[in-house]
Amino acid sequence: MDQIKKSILHLYPTTKFLVTLFLCISVFIVPGYLYAYSVLFICMFFSYLAGSFKEFSDLAIKALLLIVVFIFILQSFFYPGTHVIWSWSIFSIKQEGIDFALNLTSKIVAIGSSFILFFRITKVKDLISSLEALGLPPKVTYIFLSTLQIIPEMKKLTIVIMDAQKTRGVETEGKLFTRIKAFLPTLSPLILGSIAGTEERVLTLESRAFSAKVKKTSLYTVEKTKYDPIVRIILLILLITLIIWRVML
Amino acid sequence: MSMITIKNLSYQYPIVETDVLHDINISIEKGEFYAVIGSNGAGKTTFCNVIRGFIPHFYKGDLRGEILIEGKDIRDWELGDLSQKIGYVFQNPFTQISGVKETVFEEIAFGLENLGLEVEIIKEKVENVLKMLEIEYLQEKNPFELSGGQKQRVALASIIVMEPDILVIDEPTSQLDPQGTEEVFKIIELMKNKGKTIILVEHKMELIAEYADRIILMQDGKVVKQGLTKDILSDEDTLQYGSALPQYALFGIEMRNQNMDLGSIPLTEKQSISVVQQWMKKEGLA
Repeated sequence: MDQIKKSILHLYPTTKFLVTLFLCISVFIVPGYLYAYSVLFICMFFSYLAGSFKEFSDLAIKALLLIVVFIFILQSFFYPGTHVIWSWSIFSIKQEGIDFALNLTSKIVAIGSSFILFFRITKVKDLISSLEALGLPPKVTYIFLSTLQIIPEMKKLTIVIMDAQKTRGVETEGKLFTRIKAFLPTLSPLILGSIAGTEERVLTLESRAFSAKVKKTSLYTVEKTKYDPIVRIILLILLITLIIWRVML
Repeated sequence: MSMITIKNLSYQYPIVETDVLHDINISIEKGEFYAVIGSNGAGKTTFCNVIRGFIPHFYKGDLRGEILIEGKDIRDWELGDLSQKIGYVFQNPFTQISGVKETVFEEIAFGLENLGLEVEIIKEKVENVLKMLEIEYLQEKNPFELSGGQKQRVALASIIVMEPDILVIDEPTSQLDPQGTEEVFKIIELMKNKGKTIILVEHKMELIAEYADRIILMQDGKVVKQGLTKDILSDEDTLQYGSALPQYALFGIEMRNQNMDLGSIPLTEKQSISVVQQWMKKEGLA
C-alpha cells in the first residue's frame, strides 16, 4: 500500500498532468453522462491510493456540489423544451433541461475533480520545477511561487494591521455595518504596504543576481521515476482505444 | 586604481525638484571599511543606491557626474553583473527574503542558482557560509519564521555566499535588538578581516568607532567631511553637521573643556580606560 502511495506521489508532475488531461478528454469522447460522473469516483479511488482521500473528497464536494446544484435548478427550469415533467404556476421542469444539465454538470464534475486530484497529489514546488525544466521563464515561475508564499504572509499582516487600527479606536467587530466600515482602514494599509514592499523585493532579487543573463541552476529537481513511461504508455493506449472504439461505434 | 571613484556626482529623483545628492567626490579604496554617517535625510541611502547601481538602473531620475566601479562607468555595467561585484544588504530584514524558498539553506543558495553555478559547488559554498557565520542551526528553518536578527543574518549570508568584493550595507541593525546588532557586527568584522571593501551606513557611533577605518560624513546631500575615523570622531566640529559622536569621545572633549587634558580623545572603551589611567598617573591620582 505504502509502495503504491509513494509511486503515485513521486510520479513526474507532467505525467500526473497527462492523467488529468486524459480524464478530461475522455469525457468528451465517451458519450453519455454516466462515465463522466464516474470520473469523480475514479479520482476518489486514485486519491485513496495516494493517501489523501479525505482531503480530496472534502474539497471536491465543497467546490463542485454548489455549482452542480445551481446548474441543475437553472437548466431544468429554464432550458427551452416541450416535454414538461412537472409544473407549478409559471415554472416547469422539462426533460430537455434535465438532460442538458446532466450532460453539462457531469463534464464539470469530471474536469473539476480531475484537476483537484492533480493539485492534491502534486506539490507546487515539483510542478514549478518541471515547468522550469520545460523552459518556462524564471520570472513566471517566480510569480507563481512567491504568490503562494506571500498570501499567508499577507494574512498575518492583516491581523497586525487590524490590531493596530483597534488600538487607534477603529471598531472592527460587531455588526455587519461596523465591519464594513472597518474594511477601508484595514485594506488600504495592507495594499499600500504590499506595493511599497514590492520595491524592496525587487532590490532583494537584484541583489541576488536574479536578472543575471546566465542559465539558472536549481538545487531542487524532480526526477522521472521508472513508472513514468509505463503510465504514459498506458494513457496513450487507452486514448487510442477510446478513439477507435468511438469511431467504430 | 581605486575600487570606486566618484566625481562631481549629483542626483535628482524623478518628480522631485531639488537634488538629493550634490557634487560628491569620493574614492573608495580596496579593503578599507567606510562608515557613512549623517542625520536622517542626508542622502546616505541614495548614495548607497548609486554605488550599487540601482540608480540609474532601477530608479530613474537625473544622474550627473562620474561613478566608476573598477574603472568602468556605472551606466555601462549590467545590474546582473554588478551583483557579483557589489553585495547589498539593507535595513528591513522582513523584505530581504526571496519569498520562493522553503528553507534557509535554499534561501542562501538562491543567488548562486541565479548565477548558474553547479549544484555541487552551490551546496559546498552554502555550507561554508553557514559555518562561517555560525548559523548552521537555522538551515532547515523557513526563512519567513525567523526573528528579525536571524533574518538579517540570513540576508547577509545570502549576499556573502556570492562572494562580492564590495559590501554595501545600509543600516543593518536599525531594527534589531542589541544581541542581533552584535551578531551582525561580528559578521561585518569577519568580512573586513577577509579583505572585503565595506561601505556601511550606521548610526551606532560606538560600533563605528570600533570597526570603521574611514568615515564619510553627509549632510543635506553633500559630503561635508571625510577622513580617518580617529580624526573625524574625535573632532568636536563633527557635531555641527547633525551627526553624533561616540560617548567616549564626548567624554574626552568634555574633559578637555574642563581643562583636564587626557592627551588624546578616546573613541572606544579600551582607549578610554587607557587614557584615563595615563592621565591619573600623570596627575598623581593613582
